[in-house]
Amino acid sequence: MNVHAFDDATLWLIFLLTGLATTLPRASFIALGSRVTLPSVVQRALRYAPAAALAAIVVPDVLLVSGELAPLNPKLAAAGAAIAAASLWRNPWLPFVAGMAVLLGLRWGLGL
Amino acid sequence: MQTITSPSFRAGAREGFRTFLPLSVGLIPWALVTGMSMVSVGFTPLQAMGMNVIVFAGTAQLGTLPLIAVGAPVWLIVATALALNLRFVIFSAAIAQGFRGLSSGNRWFCGHLLTDGVFATCMAKMLATEDRHWRLGYYLAPSLWSWLLWQGFALVGVFAAGSIPKTWSLEFMATIALLILLLPMAKMRPMLVAAAAGGGTAVLLHALPLKLGLFAGIFVGIAAGFAADHWPKKQEAA
Repeated sequence: MNVHAFDDATLWLIFLLTGLATTLPRASFIALGSRVTLPSVVQRALRYAPAAALAAIVVPDVLLVSGELAPLNPKLAAAGAAIAAASLWRNPWLPFVAGMAVLLGLRWGLGL
Repeated sequence: MQTITSPSFRAGAREGFRTFLPLSVGLIPWALVTGMSMVSVGFTPLQAMGMNVIVFAGTAQLGTLPLIAVGAPVWLIVATALALNLRFVIFSAAIAQGFRGLSSGNRWFCGHLLTDGVFATCMAKMLATEDRHWRLGYYLAPSLWSWLLWQGFALVGVFAAGSIPKTWSLEFMATIALLILLLPMAKMRPMLVAAAAGGGTAVLLHALPLKLGLFAGIFVGIAAGFAADHWPKKQEAA
């Protein structure tokens, strides 16, 4: 269980800066109007940023346990179950139900 | 004010809302999960809803929470949010023509409200329609509806999480949410390369201080995706 170590003021500063890091990309070309366009090379490079960032956050989270590579751990099994549920069915709730069921089942049931 | 009362603004708003309403149901689990995840890293309800209103972006919120939880440096949290939001620069460039003839204030407001769902739903008609009042209504109705759903169901998530014991590991719902966002991207080969390189780099360099492995992962991932997209084309041209 992680609980953050930031004080209240720092946390609000993070919210404001993260808000800017969201609104500025969103509003960029809409606010500038149609005078400016983005070079296609830059557009293509930017396309990969979200996939790279998401994977860089998620993969260590499910592969590492206390800083050690753990190819067999409840979080990885739960991630597999969530991915399977998302690939097999349209229902948006099922991946959460499947993932949490596997995680809690392995932790509570098998004591992993 | 004149715009909002004009018949074509209202006609556009009705049409935009009708088109988007069935899709908007998909926002509900995300908002709930985001609300719960913010509480699971230790935010008070006020902090959680403050972030929800200020940032108003599921991916950026869910993506930065694990970094906030471990006390990563502020610049890295903001840089990660920026990387997760860079897709909006492309969306913004693609839909910008749809806001022609509107005031600068309106354009900033509309830009702040730009979401993946509304972009995908509204872009084609925004570009094709001449009447700027109609376009503004057509864009604002689904955008404001998304905003209300996002705030409302995040609030439900915030209070639901408060009554659930810590041993339920609710913070893992954020990881599941990020995985599901990644899944459709990874169906395209260069995206899969970008994700594999980004994830692999982050795992290899996880011991670096200040979570710099994450930062390196984002850069290596972008470069690898770009290379995977570029190289086959060069070979075809040769």
